[in-house]
Amino acid sequence: MAKGNKHRKSVSYAKWAYIFIAPFFISYIIFTLVPQALTVYNSFFENYQNGLQQIGPNFVGLGNYVKLLTPDKAGTIDFLRYFGNAMGMWIAGAIPQFLIALLLAVLFTSARLNLKGQGIAKTIIYMPNLIMASAFSMLIFALFSNVGPINKWLVASGIIEKSFDFLSYKIPVRTIIAFMNFIMWFGNTTIVLMAGIMGIDQSLFESANIDGANSVHVFFDITLPLLMPILSYALITSLIGGIQMFDVPQVISNGKGTPNMTSTTVIMMLNNYLSTSKNYGMAGALSVMLFIITGILSMFVYRMLAKQYKK
Amino acid sequence: MSNQNKKAKFSLILSRVLAYGVVIFLCVLCLFFFVLLILMSSKSNSQLQGAFTLTWGGHFLENLKNAWTDVSINIPRGMFNSLIVALCSALITTYFSALTAYGVHVYNFKMKNVVFTFIMAIMMIPSQVSAVGFIQLAYKFGLTNKLWLLIVPGIAAPVVFFYMKQYLESVLPIEMVEAARIDGSNEFRIFNEIVLPIMKPAVAVQMIFSFVSSWNNFFMPALLLTKKEYKTVPIMIAQLRSADYSKFDMGKVFMFILLAILPVMIVYTILSKSIIKGVTSGSVKG
Amino acid sequence: MKKLLVALLAVLMVLSLAACGKKPEPTPDPEPTPAAEEGKVFHIYAWNEEFKGFFEKYYKVPEGIEVVWTIVPNEGTQYQDAVDLALLNQESASADDKVDMFLAEADYILKYTNSPYTQDVRKLGVTDFSNTYQYTVEAASDANGVCKGVSFQCCPAGMIYRRSIAKDVLGTDDPAEVQAAVSSWEKFDNVAKLAHDKGYLMTSSYAEDYRVFSNNTSMPWVDKDNNLQIDPAIQTWMDQAEMYVKEGYTLTSGVWDAETTAEAAKDGKAFCFFGPAWYYNFCMGPAFGDDAVKEGTDSVGDWGLVDGPQAFFWGGTWLLAATGSDNPTMLKDVMNAFINNEEVCENLIKNEAQFTNNQKVNNKYAADPEFGNKYLGGQNDTAVFAEGAKNIKFQNQTIYDQGCNEGIQNYFVEYLKGTVTKEEAMKNFYKALKEKYPAINVPEN
Repeated sequence: MAKGNKHRKSVSYAKWAYIFIAPFFISYIIFTLVPQALTVYNSFFENYQNGLQQIGPNFVGLGNYVKLLTPDKAGTIDFLRYFGNAMGMWIAGAIPQFLIALLLAVLFTSARLNLKGQGIAKTIIYMPNLIMASAFSMLIFALFSNVGPINKWLVASGIIEKSFDFLSYKIPVRTIIAFMNFIMWFGNTTIVLMAGIMGIDQSLFESANIDGANSVHVFFDITLPLLMPILSYALITSLIGGIQMFDVPQVISNGKGTPNMTSTTVIMMLNNYLSTSKNYGMAGALSVMLFIITGILSMFVYRMLAKQYKK
Repeated sequence: MSNQNKKAKFSLILSRVLAYGVVIFLCVLCLFFFVLLILMSSKSNSQLQGAFTLTWGGHFLENLKNAWTDVSINIPRGMFNSLIVALCSALITTYFSALTAYGVHVYNFKMKNVVFTFIMAIMMIPSQVSAVGFIQLAYKFGLTNKLWLLIVPGIAAPVVFFYMKQYLESVLPIEMVEAARIDGSNEFRIFNEIVLPIMKPAVAVQMIFSFVSSWNNFFMPALLLTKKEYKTVPIMIAQLRSADYSKFDMGKVFMFILLAILPVMIVYTILSKSIIKGVTSGSVKG
Repeated sequence: MKKLLVALLAVLMVLSLAACGKKPEPTPDPEPTPAAEEGKVFHIYAWNEEFKGFFEKYYKVPEGIEVVWTIVPNEGTQYQDAVDLALLNQESASADDKVDMFLAEADYILKYTNSPYTQDVRKLGVTDFSNTYQYTVEAASDANGVCKGVSFQCCPAGMIYRRSIAKDVLGTDDPAEVQAAVSSWEKFDNVAKLAHDKGYLMTSSYAEDYRVFSNNTSMPWVDKDNNLQIDPAIQTWMDQAEMYVKEGYTLTSGVWDAETTAEAAKDGKAFCFFGPAWYYNFCMGPAFGDDAVKEGTDSVGDWGLVDGPQAFFWGGTWLLAATGSDNPTMLKDVMNAFINNEEVCENLIKNEAQFTNNQKVNNKYAADPEFGNKYLGGQNDTAVFAEGAKNIKFQNQTIYDQGCNEGIQNYFVEYLKGTVTKEEAMKNFYKALKEKYPAINVPEN
């Protein structure tokens, strides 16, 4: 629809565009530009604090990037390994998150089903998002500790003989992190998608109903294509959140990526660089790398969904 | 015919049962963690130090009283500060993001694609390093203990912009804007009086999100708000956790965490009522 | 679009260069300003309100001076970050915003004492250290021995043993005899075996006695060429922890985990815990909590305190004098009050269950037969600590100690739990350390 309007004379309104986007850019330039530009700038410098003593800034060219991408003796590049960790845990949480959110969004908006008690349900599924990640992690600790109720129950019912240290092994730790991400965010995604579906012109659904299309067809032929812009928003922001996954694995693994750095994410690495030594050099290089990767992946997702949308 | 009717009715009942089943299951799962939090906040510090059991601790009111009267914090003050910051942030962020998104979406101007690409790009730069840089600049300019410093930067919120832009793409009929122009409305009025109401669900969604993230924000406020009278809820919770051994009480901490959720739930309930169906229905063709 | 980006980048560069112009280093140790020109606001940084409480109760603020507290919670590195930022901007801060005094803990104190942002307290007029414990002065001194602050609370620690278990294992619960049985690590290991044979644990956490070893190292974590080195004492701890876990003498849970503290309750199996007074007075909830007592699951009175194999301390708070303070007279006065004013110190020990940094006052209570701790069956813990505190050492500090001490415990336990090999555990420790402290050279991996 929007395409057809392109050749109409809308140039005279261009000044309004600049007026409308001006506040955004003014605020960006004042508050974010300098720190963000410094992030990029510092990635080419050795710049950190040793205690309270400032080291640098000394220009090192691409030195920080090289350091970040140099494999260790065993041949692993930690940056990529941590990136893989985050992606693995993101995907494990995002698949159920999106499937369930889509399902719920459709159920909640379905005129045919006309579910009762939606208001309460919508509040309840959003509640995990209101609990701070650190508080949520404390609940998980209590639940899964060696002397916690889950272990007690498993032992009492004879399933296992001795308490199992859930938070020390790779698969359980990653599963718990993925599950927490899922439970904290599926309500959020549901709301986004629901608002998207509700924004769709209702007459389209009405005419589909008259034509006697079944709900599966309505979903794939009307809802999904029209929801694509919102779905791509949800997917891309979730992807960015996944790449930048931090607080849940940080608290659950006590900042050390238990076990053997298999739950360490790139931002946890960044946090190590930043927290004690204010290592702007390495942290900057890491941010730029992450930015490039995020850009490429997002572009890929965006294109893929846009293609779907045009179909 | 009646057979088919029956079949349709049966399938409707079946789908309803399944739908309720799924929704109830997920609600129970979510409520479980909430119940867990309530149980935690009913336990005394020494109960919390020992093995955790799924039982009522019996110290709920005592924890409530202790948290409320703790001299190192001031719960009403913290809630008030948090509310100011979170509400203003939510309003400013959503309004200006909608405005920016509308500007980029509706008008054809030379820089249109550059602007869109640029905003998408800055959305993808990890924010941790610049957050630290921001704090350092704030200290350099003596801008600590200013609530507005946590609010105003929200005018430039790339993620919210992106959502608004996508929402407009899927719902806004250009014809409506043009019809309004023919009626002689100026561009600001078109945005405020015609477009914004259409975007109400989107605005509500993003207001919820930015309210919640601002309400739970700890890192920046903790360093920027150091005076007692400006501290927000997460800083006060951290303060309880940082208390010395003679005053340290996890019961108080969990109680405050629980209390901190209540205002957000109220705001959520109010705002989620605005996520309503079919705003554009009918108005397009008319 | 390309042109625009180039232009934008150029602007960014200029802006950023302007933003990171050289900061002026503060001039170290300026002469105190004459009293007549002193500020009206005394500004203190702390991470909680403990000292604030003592200060308000026992210190009389000079007339005309307002005391302002900045409390930043100690979550992650937030408190240190806030202090760093305030100190780095100390010169440009307005007179009322300038930091006069800030609190610090042993784990990171050297970062501040070894910097020009703290000043010599002797020059301020805090000169009488005849009654303070030597280790508290060592801790507050920089590499050249210049003292930059004082400790107002002293935290000597000891071995807290379970009397009933000691009786069963050693045949006695008398402190002198128990001390004789654990006076060295070899003897301690022997007791561990005896305890194990009777079905007890020696300790309930692999890290329970870590601080005893790390307080008694013979060399710093990092040598003068910035190479990481593992002290023989740390190595001994690693060997001990490995053996104890393997033999079932201890658990792999951390010091603060529920599994560990639960062993202090009535039916607990741990022979001993290691800690200072605050540890048993406030942190052993399952053993001493009011509701544990009510439910009869407590172990009040079933404990005794001895020095243990080696002297050590845990915790404590130091008051540091900030460079650029505009209240040097009051700064001196506050510091003197909390180490040399006997009335203040007596109040701390009597009313606040503190072990003070004044030997004279502590000794008075150590000799008082009426003065005892109910958790320890009436034993006078001040007497034990007053002796032990003299032997505490606080040498070989580096600014990396916090990361090194936490790191070795955190990564080594993965090996103890059997999820990684010893080499992997050490490799992870080195990696994390290198990320946190770029200046350290770690073994290549």
